Amino acid sequence: MIEMAGKLFSWLNNRLPIVNTFERHLSKHPVPSKVNFWYLFGALAAVTLIIQIVTGIWLIMPYSNTEEQAFSSIEYIMRDVDYGWVIRYMHTTGASLFFAVVYLHMFRGLLYGSYQKPKELVWIFGCTIYLAMMAEGFLGYVLPYGQMSYWGAQVIISLFGAIPYVGESLELWVRGDYYISGITVSRFFALHVVALPLILIALVFLHLVALHEVGAGNPEGVDIEEHLDEDGVPLDSVPFFPYKVLNGLVAIGVFLTVFAIIMFFFPEGGGYFIEMANFQEANPLVTPDHIAPVWYYAPFYTMLRAIPDPLGGLIVMAAAVAIFFIVPWLDRSKVASIRYKGIYSKIAITLFGVSFLTLGYLGTVGVTEIRKIMSIICTIIYFAYFLLMPIYTKYEKTKEVPTRL
Amino acid sequence: MICFINRKILDHISMISLFLLFMFTPHLIYSAEGGPCKDYGDCDEFKYSLNDIDSLQRGASTYINYCYGCHSLQYSRWGRVAQDLEIPEDIFFENLVFDKSIKAGDLMTGAMPEESATWFGVEPPDLTLVARYKGDDWIYSYLRAYYEDSSKQYGVNNLVYPGTAMPNVLLSLQGNQRLVCKDIPEIAKNGGEKRDDNGKTIMIEKCGFLEVQDGTGSLSKEEFDKLIYDLTNFLVYVGEPIKATRERIGWYVVFYLLIFTALSALLYREFKKDYKK
Repeated sequence: MIEMAGKLFSWLNNRLPIVNTFERHLSKHPVPSKVNFWYLFGALAAVTLIIQIVTGIWLIMPYSNTEEQAFSSIEYIMRDVDYGWVIRYMHTTGASLFFAVVYLHMFRGLLYGSYQKPKELVWIFGCTIYLAMMAEGFLGYVLPYGQMSYWGAQVIISLFGAIPYVGESLELWVRGDYYISGITVSRFFALHVVALPLILIALVFLHLVALHEVGAGNPEGVDIEEHLDEDGVPLDSVPFFPYKVLNGLVAIGVFLTVFAIIMFFFPEGGGYFIEMANFQEANPLVTPDHIAPVWYYAPFYTMLRAIPDPLGGLIVMAAAVAIFFIVPWLDRSKVASIRYKGIYSKIAITLFGVSFLTLGYLGTVGVTEIRKIMSIICTIIYFAYFLLMPIYTKYEKTKEVPTRL
Repeated sequence: MICFINRKILDHISMISLFLLFMFTPHLIYSAEGGPCKDYGDCDEFKYSLNDIDSLQRGASTYINYCYGCHSLQYSRWGRVAQDLEIPEDIFFENLVFDKSIKAGDLMTGAMPEESATWFGVEPPDLTLVARYKGDDWIYSYLRAYYEDSSKQYGVNNLVYPGTAMPNVLLSLQGNQRLVCKDIPEIAKNGGEKRDDNGKTIMIEKCGFLEVQDGTGSLSKEEFDKLIYDLTNFLVYVGEPIKATRERIGWYVVFYLLIFTALSALLYREFKKDYKK
């Protein structure tokens, strides 16, 4: 029996690089031996992506992408489909937590310079994933066809209208109708369940291939490739499998516990994960009192609102996301990690973090005079962090980076 | 210079800020923009008890007798309600389902004829999800905040929902509620009662209190509050019938995941010995 299994395996292995791939990317793939918790969010993002894909497939089965039935099919899933509520809450909780772990993952990148040479491409693929996620999240939010789905889509699609010359035709082209209708829902459905997931999976694959080519970083910013043992394996590394896989498993356990607590006890996330107004079916005749985006778009929504001119707002908002792509060339520091960077970098990243969170908060509440001023100040700080980076990283005094981990 | 921003602190700043943001924003929103209960002030707090089957049964009965005539529960099924509320189907159908052509699997699509849509100026909304988009606190406050107002079409108005189109259907039970003025102790800035030179509490007149005229309703205030409690509890149930089960299953899942996490942590610790001296 065992002999037969062995024969079958070697038959397969001669035709498919199973052992090779396993060794190259897992059991012999060296990763830094000493990293901190910030390095676990990438794995958690991967877990969340899988959760979203699997629950998504099961949601497609009972969901109806028509104007008449979209909303009621969600209630059908919540009430009449066996364990439909588990699948649906997993998907809604997963969407929010996906953004939460990706934001933390990106912040880790900024903290420890995970974009620096030779990891520029890893970073760029990552930024593209984030961009695709934003689109995916928006399209998905329209599908339940509640009041917030409708009015949120109204706000976002009308942004296209701010583009000069082609704006209006573009808006019409995206919507597929003169107003948001079943046609919009069904095309968003196609994009949400087929087009963007394909793009996301391809990008995640490229993100990982590029990462494995250049090697993972560490919070010290030490290049572990500089000290190798006689077999050419970095001295400060451990094989990815089983050590980092097990480390990841613990993180996944903690993450899933948090996930379960939210999903079983607070699935609406206090109105931040599922907005209360979205329990009312879309009604083109009644505008909700307060149109607020889901929390993960809130910082960018605040920037949009802070600029009085629609086109200006759109440009600022787009630039706020686009600027991440050029970070590898904005950072002129000799060191990667915030631990060895100078005081200006430390102040800058702290201000950036605070302004990002403040922008996020402001996006979920109504506008007042003082909040408007705050949003402008925070928008300026947000951009200053990036635009001044070439200056403060170049001229600050950095600390000596150790040679070993 | 600012040496206190060391890496450990920096590492944790964002985590803490994120946590604080989630903890405090709902309060900030309401304090800045006025609560959802409008003229009523803060909504009365409602604590659902979905395991109190008696309360849910009474709530269902009140709903079907007083509300269902106008407000459908179109996503909910008759049989499911009977089953979840542990009412034997024959008793349920005999006492609570007035249209004898209805079957257990049918949706509760309402009892109003089509042309009735404009009887009250607006179509009475479906209430299956009202507890989810308005909140249980809101419902509990709203149904108890009607008062006499002769300027309105049905002679009543509501503090929680000023200008509401719905007449006070429960008037015969609650009695005639009015807005009255009362003398109450004046509160000083420090939070204590203001007193005059003789040590007597200074009273001022304040209006806007709800008070039921004695003997006009068939229920006492406590009985009426309980009726509304049960009704709201039922609406919480019907908004998400799985809620009680969800919370019960949640404990098992979290318990399992904690054990999983503990075991994987032990396993990782064991493996870590290979490279950590």
